[in-house]
Amino acid sequence: MFGSLKIAMVAILITGIAGAGMYVMKLRSDNAILKANQLKLESAVADQKALIVNQKKDFEDILDANNKMNELVSILKKDLDDLDKRFNKKNRDVGKLAIAKTESIERITNGASALATRCIEIASGSPLTEKEKNATKKSEINSECPSIANPNYVPY
Amino acid sequence: MPRANLNLDKPTPLELENLRWIIITSENAEEVFKKLEEQGIDPVLWGLTDKDFELLAKNFAQIRNQLKITNDLLDKYKKYYEPEVKNNNTKK
Repeated sequence: MFGSLKIAMVAILITGIAGAGMYVMKLRSDNAILKANQLKLESAVADQKALIVNQKKDFEDILDANNKMNELVSILKKDLDDLDKRFNKKNRDVGKLAIAKTESIERITNGASALATRCIEIASGSPLTEKEKNATKKSEINSECPSIANPNYVPY
Repeated sequence: MPRANLNLDKPTPLELENLRWIIITSENAEEVFKKLEEQGIDPVLWGLTDKDFELLAKNFAQIRNQLKITNDLLDKYKKYYEPEVKNNNTKK
């Protein structure tokens, strides 16, 4: 009887040790999973942060593009208004002027026509010349479209 | 997987010819046609009234503005969607 009790005690002891060992191994395994999950979470947070930064930059770029387009539309409208003024300023009648000063109006018309032709080239993407870029005086600018032909010209 | 950049070349900028305007009035008509003949040019002219000339100038200005806006719009789209692609139409 005493022998059987001993055997039972040893069996319990062995089972306890084996159980503890398995428990430790499970803890280690759980710990490894938790570490992997932690890494995934950290990576996801970093990705989200990068995404937010990119989205913020995109919004800024969109806003900037919209503002620049609106600005362009408004300066081009000004060029168009200026053209209208040139024809009709103070009830000016270009026809009567052309009758009275035919040669000089012809010369002015041809000059303006050449400038207007250049404006279309620029609008189609033609690069500005150094002269156009550096023009700052009224006498140097393309009076037909200074807003697109002479970026450094400030009207005075 | 992002789509490949479209990366189309921008249209070649226009290179236009300058044209010559001749103002013809009831007083100088004869002289104008005579000069044309002397220069070996057919004595014929396409005419516009002063009002129509004004409209033509304004129409061209509107076309020019639209061209500029469309061109800039294209640049903005390219810059936004293909920022790493070098614009083939950079100033030389």
